[in-house]
Amino acid sequence: MLNFRLLLVLLSVLVAALFGASLLIGPAGLGVGTSLRALLAGQGEAAVLVMREIRLPRALLGVMLGASLGLSGAAMQGYLRNPLAEPGLIGVSSSAALGAVIALQTGLAAMVALALPLMALAGAVLSVLLLLMLAGARGASLTLILAGIAVSAFAGALTSLALNLSPNPYAAAEIVFWMLGSLSDRSFTHVWLALPFMALGWVLLAPLGRGLDALTLGEDAAAALGIRLTRLRLSLVLGTASCVGAGVAVAGAVGFVGLVVPHLLRPAVGGRPGRLLPASALGGAAMLLAADIATRLIAPERDLKLGVVTALVGAPLFLHLIYKTRKEGMW
Amino acid sequence: MVSLLALEKLTVRRGECPVVDRISLSVAAGEFVGLIGPNGAGKTTLMRAALGLLPALGHSSLAALPVATRAHAAAWLPQTREVAWPVSVETLVALGRTPHLPATGQMRAADHAAVEAALKRMALEGLRFRSAAQLSGGEQARVLIARALAQQAPLLLADEPIAGLDPAHQITTMEVFAGLAAEGHAAIVSLHDLGLAARHCTRLILLGQGRLVADGPPGDVLTGANLAEVFGVRAFYARTEDGPVFQPLEVVR
Repeated sequence: MLNFRLLLVLLSVLVAALFGASLLIGPAGLGVGTSLRALLAGQGEAAVLVMREIRLPRALLGVMLGASLGLSGAAMQGYLRNPLAEPGLIGVSSSAALGAVIALQTGLAAMVALALPLMALAGAVLSVLLLLMLAGARGASLTLILAGIAVSAFAGALTSLALNLSPNPYAAAEIVFWMLGSLSDRSFTHVWLALPFMALGWVLLAPLGRGLDALTLGEDAAAALGIRLTRLRLSLVLGTASCVGAGVAVAGAVGFVGLVVPHLLRPAVGGRPGRLLPASALGGAAMLLAADIATRLIAPERDLKLGVVTALVGAPLFLHLIYKTRKEGMW
Repeated sequence: MVSLLALEKLTVRRGECPVVDRISLSVAAGEFVGLIGPNGAGKTTLMRAALGLLPALGHSSLAALPVATRAHAAAWLPQTREVAWPVSVETLVALGRTPHLPATGQMRAADHAAVEAALKRMALEGLRFRSAAQLSGGEQARVLIARALAQQAPLLLADEPIAGLDPAHQITTMEVFAGLAAEGHAAIVSLHDLGLAARHCTRLILLGQGRLVADGPPGDVLTGANLAEVFGVRAFYARTEDGPVFQPLEVVR
């Protein structure tokens, strides 16, 4: 187990380095000097546009989305005491995706500028209300999982219906491509749209560490240690929904980050769910920035989708982790 | 004597059927109470309701406290031995300090001392850096007891804490609880081993079908009539030079 502070410093350095790399890599092919002068001093008209309007919001969204997914994944695993839990489990991401798909399918997204992210957020909010209604404010974690699966399945079915009823193959292709998840061509409008929701999510999830630590002993023992489980659960659901809902709204469905990153970093924090929260937020930001850079490096002309890369990297990584933990006989 | 727990007509219903039926009792500092009764008699339900972890009718002094205050008044060791993550033994025991930590979660000198004392008391110093998920069932049970001890609450409620331990650790654990009582704390411990209950507890509470059947010193509770009525067994019970000896002999119904 590494020293915890050292781990956070190392992860922060990694995020900063990848953030820098994300600013410097792109199809415009600007030199390092040109890029930095444009970004910081505002020199060179075209370069300023590329740096400040295209690359900076993209890199910022990468950090925000990655941190949100990593943090909510760690919180969800900690609450459910299950390393297979991920933020999408409570059905928010599929519901947000449904909202976006409806915006695309009805043509609303083409008519109104922010219709797509706003519809996605509306989908996320509706699913949370439905989830809380189904699972109740009190109750065990199992009811939350079941309610989440039900919401998820229903949203998935409606998304399929929208695809099924799409007026022409192009509309269907647009929907499918959107669902693969991407950060390309996002602007500061997207940053400002997502930031308040994600920040709310961070504020709700960050203080849960102590309760999640106590939950290592089970719900009964945690309650007797003075943890208010009802409140913890509400914070968890609302925080995850804000993070994930806003994430899907601006970037589409990006999977595996919330699942793999907490799993990867757990040994480094000695298994403690509370310490995993900040570590996983930083780790998530790093993984998402790296994956987004990869989409630009591997196939710059083909518009490789971010969600495809995270899944391509995440799934084998996850398989490797399962294999390793099976050999060691522990998580 | 300071009363650490007072129950008045505590009742828990599951549907129409009372699982815990109008139980009134109080536990004072210095007592080591053994909670005995057959399976399904309501021992676990009684303890959880007393702690306020279950909705109940009647009054419990612990359940009436705010959640954070209650964690300073009583420690609870559930029967299910759950260790969800591969944290070290020391970290797991330190979770008992949760109610005492400031908002930053920083452990202070008193917290470290409490964790050390708990590890020492359960003879776990040698295991402190081991992953709690990799221990044997009995070792895990002792680590979780140490966690409850580290909470340093005046009252400890434990649900079958010695089930699955080897005889030596069963005896030392009972002695730890008796030691707590002697220091002015109190323990309420549900048990199936009536022999150990008879030897170590200062007081036994016998439950049968949710009702309080007998409450008093072990010799007054473990009578032939009570055993036949509640447990359906006949037993040998004698005070010997080595202390009280209790051995169930046969089923009588």
